[in-house]
Amino acid sequence: MINAIFYFFVGLMGILSMGFQLLGSRLLNPHFGSSIIVWAWLISTFLAAFSAGSILGGWISNLPAERRGRTQVMVTLVGVLGLMFTAFLGRSALGWIELQFENISVGLLVACFGLFFVPVAVFSSFGPQCVQFLASRGTAPGSASGLIYGVSTIGNIAGVMITAFLLIPNLPVSTLLQLWLSVAIFSSACLILILRLPSDATTAS
Amino acid sequence: MTMRTLFLRFLLVLVSAAALSGADYVERYDTLYNSLTIERRGTQVELRAKSREGDYLESAVDLADPLNLVVPYTRSLYGGLFFQPKPQKVLMIGLGGAGFHRLFMAAYPEVLLQSVELDPKVVELTRERMYFTPTANSPIATVDGRQFVKRSREKWDWLILDAFRGGYVPPHLKTKEFYEECAARMSDEGVFITNLHSGTELYYADLKTLRTVFPQVILFQTKNRGNVIAFAVKYASPDMTNPARWPPTAELSAPLQGRLDLASIRAEVIPWPTARVARAKVMTDDFSPVEFLDAMEENNTKR
Repeated sequence: MINAIFYFFVGLMGILSMGFQLLGSRLLNPHFGSSIIVWAWLISTFLAAFSAGSILGGWISNLPAERRGRTQVMVTLVGVLGLMFTAFLGRSALGWIELQFENISVGLLVACFGLFFVPVAVFSSFGPQCVQFLASRGTAPGSASGLIYGVSTIGNIAGVMITAFLLIPNLPVSTLLQLWLSVAIFSSACLILILRLPSDATTAS
Repeated sequence: MTMRTLFLRFLLVLVSAAALSGADYVERYDTLYNSLTIERRGTQVELRAKSREGDYLESAVDLADPLNLVVPYTRSLYGGLFFQPKPQKVLMIGLGGAGFHRLFMAAYPEVLLQSVELDPKVVELTRERMYFTPTANSPIATVDGRQFVKRSREKWDWLILDAFRGGYVPPHLKTKEFYEECAARMSDEGVFITNLHSGTELYYADLKTLRTVFPQVILFQTKNRGNVIAFAVKYASPDMTNPARWPPTAELSAPLQGRLDLASIRAEVIPWPTARVARAKVMTDDFSPVEFLDAMEENNTKR
């Protein structure tokens, strides 16, 4: 049962991260358009955040248990605050950034890193921690890594399709960002609790 | 006729003579924003952009007769004369191949015709293949239309929105906030002119959005084409939708050198689709599912 819940949240984090990328494109759209330049900066920012998040998550995984718990909470809090900023002040920030930087690439660099980097890096830091969670419960490291990234990528696909074809055509971007914030708080809190479970509380798959 | 007009005409003859000497060709370019085809057949050069339905004609010029408005909807844009007959400053978002520009520049050489085009390749092809030469009074800015409007401090008498990427319209140029930014940059007597494609739900959403910003909007349908040109003003009165109040076409036609039948353009007025617009949604920066509305055929939603 715990395993099913665990994989559900791994998949949900995948949905959130790629769905957030599409929402990001709609947030940027009124200010920078939707050209290939916008997508280049957006995709690069997300990849940079995935990279930083993976390194961060790997570091957290190897901390001593007590310090790991505290760090997980603090890092998640930073991510939630970052997402909160994007959801509630993102539009105003973009209006300001757009007028400050005449060069579209500089404007996009500031906008993408300012609005998306921190939350995406923080939430993607759960990936290595989830791998560690499985590995410490007897799953071979290669299998653990394959399972986590496989489930997460299925979540990514679902996130793209649901956001593009169901959510964006029917709901305002601001509402969706608030929904993302709520789901991110809930799912990261649940994952932190699951990651703290003692090894014998769950059976490795 | 002023010396300036004479000089412009002389320049036009020289450019036309140089242009006429070329052979037929088809060239294709993939740019940052478009997939473009430029094709010359005889004296006609066409600029096309790829869209879902195939190649979409962006602009065309007859090099033997550059003042001829080859693409029909560009004639309808001149309906702006009914609402602001003496423009001093005109902003056109979307250069295309400058199909509208040549006659306008010849008819009103003293008027500032500022163009804004996002795609540098479109600007290059317009200059090098369609032989359009910008002057001090017809500059081209290579930037996003919305960014230009936001940074502009001018008050425009005509603000023409004709920005397409193939048949597709960038969503950020379709929202209430953008139309408000345009209205803020128009003179009190100014007119906002936009080229719309009828036949999809996007058309009605667009009309509803326009009507939330502009107190008066009137529609002209280009004869035998899907183009509808919307004209909108910032004032609620006098009534701009009553053709009886418009200046006489003979008076307006004088500078156009007999190139345009304004009486037939006047007859292009179509009724406001009240019932359909009432059911449409207003598009905002926060909610503008342009791609989805554009894909919804009108017939799919008929009740």
